[in-house]
Amino acid sequence: MATIREKGYYHWDGRLEERRFPWWPITRTGIQLAFKKKGFRFLFAGQFLPPVIFMAVIYASENLENFKFMVRGSDRIISITPGSFKFFFTFGPVVFLCVMMLVFAGAGLIADDLKHNSLQVYFSRPLRKRDYLLGKMAVVLFFVLIVTLVPGLLLVLSKLVLSGSLRFFLEYPWLVLSILGYSVVLAVVFAFYTLLLSALNKNSRFVMIMIFLTYIFSDILSALLRETFRTPYMILVSIRANLEQVGAFLFAQKSAYPVPVGWSFVVLAALCALSAVVLNTKIRSVEVVK
Amino acid sequence: MTAVIAAKSLSKWYGNVLGLNDVSLEIEAGITGLLGPNGAGKSTFMKLITGQMRPNIGEVTIGGRSVWNNFPLFSSIGFCPEQDAFYEDVTGWEFLTGMIRFHGFPPEEAAERASRALATVELLGDKDRRIRSYSRGMRQRIKFAQAIAHDPGIIILDEPFNGLDPLGKRKLIRLVKDFRSQGRTILVSSHVLPEIEAVTSKIIMIHHGKILAEGDIHKIRDLIETYPHMISVRSNAPRALAAAFVGDASILKMSFGPDGRSLVVETHARDAFFGRLQSVVVEGGFEVEEITSPDDNLQAVFDYLVGG
Repeated sequence: MATIREKGYYHWDGRLEERRFPWWPITRTGIQLAFKKKGFRFLFAGQFLPPVIFMAVIYASENLENFKFMVRGSDRIISITPGSFKFFFTFGPVVFLCVMMLVFAGAGLIADDLKHNSLQVYFSRPLRKRDYLLGKMAVVLFFVLIVTLVPGLLLVLSKLVLSGSLRFFLEYPWLVLSILGYSVVLAVVFAFYTLLLSALNKNSRFVMIMIFLTYIFSDILSALLRETFRTPYMILVSIRANLEQVGAFLFAQKSAYPVPVGWSFVVLAALCALSAVVLNTKIRSVEVVK
Repeated sequence: MTAVIAAKSLSKWYGNVLGLNDVSLEIEAGITGLLGPNGAGKSTFMKLITGQMRPNIGEVTIGGRSVWNNFPLFSSIGFCPEQDAFYEDVTGWEFLTGMIRFHGFPPEEAAERASRALATVELLGDKDRRIRSYSRGMRQRIKFAQAIAHDPGIIILDEPFNGLDPLGKRKLIRLVKDFRSQGRTILVSSHVLPEIEAVTSKIIMIHHGKILAEGDIHKIRDLIETYPHMISVRSNAPRALAAAFVGDASILKMSFGPDGRSLVVETHARDAFFGRLQSVVVEGGFEVEEITSPDDNLQAVFDYLVGG
């Protein structure tokens, strides 16, 4: 006997939003989860200490008359140039603070999904793999840009405001683009770097250690290889040194190492490409049959 | 009835391991049970239906449209995975609203739907607790809530009764039956046969990646000729009843139940036996208290087909 079934469940007459940013729920969750981690808020707040110090330096440079008594020759020392910005952005401890932030905010991004089998819940929804990865990447981009690009632009603005003229801007009109460019490079490289390591293990604590150690170890290894082989090209092994090379190029400064900056771009691009390949392989909803 | 989900020559393998082998079937509206031992291919089949994986061969269609890469179609599917699939540090509310937002609902609608789904699974009072503090049963219910919150027409439930206490199981069974009466298509997998039996008699039996049987459980049993039907007749005089059947050629074997009051008959000709039983009971003046078929159930069919 034929059966006619009444579709009696809830009907919604509204319009579904055009999903221009389908990755946004992933990003929002990632940011929310980061702030729920113990100690992260403190670490995040700590990221703004260097910009505050830099701003104090800018203030001092604009009020040299008041500070001359403190340091002899301060008028030469405290001079804000693009080099100062390059120093601020590529200064080892500043970048290290950024890495520490990623240790907490980025380690679990994919590792936790793998651990909790969340991929199958995501991919049974209207969400593509690229949206998923973009959402995860956007978490890292958000945190890195908010501690680099935003303070960088504010520092330029404060320099203009404190000097009371547009002279600095007119002298270095490309500086804003340099800040934007370097912040984006840093954010993208760190996003790929963090997601690569996060996708390699289900244990986010292990990934935290890996993010930290890989960054540190690449620098130590680079120094050892330089001493051993007596060639400056070994700086290409170091993530920090490569970022510093790129920073020097973008801020139109002299490179710290006698190595063409193009090589550093190649190394960082290779790291991103490797990460993309690994992510494409690891991120899939597959039942493992044993 | 028109098939809602259709699989055509579906095969999926992982390296050298065959997950699913040349599966063709159709699933209609209502509840269908997906049965099979662990590793049979149930989860693979469900992931192919929900578009999470691409079949190596074949195609899955929903309402005539191919599932693979058809992302708008995914909003008509609700999937409840077997394993816990959420972050421990988010609240039930955050988890649910986040999941609903993937379907493109505006925030207010997502919130309303989350409230409704949480109320359905009786978790509204615990919505602001972190999932970390949820009991096993609550986790099952929040998983179920995320599968139904966007009001899908098709609900895929992978081992949904795992970890629920008897009361929780009964509630979920009632809920699943309610969804059926709303005209939805529900596919429930389980390896606990009474759970499936409690919600439906329409089953798909899967083993080693192949479909062993599909359809109504009783009709499937009728088709299994290798094993004779067992019929238990409880009466006041089981031995006298047995004596009346000794000469019946359709009966292969007779025995007595442990209570001493039941005659258990094995026959290939069930209808003929019932016809003869009627006359024997009337002529002999036997009092029959109960007639049952001990192997006309899911467990027996499963054992016969899978070899358990």
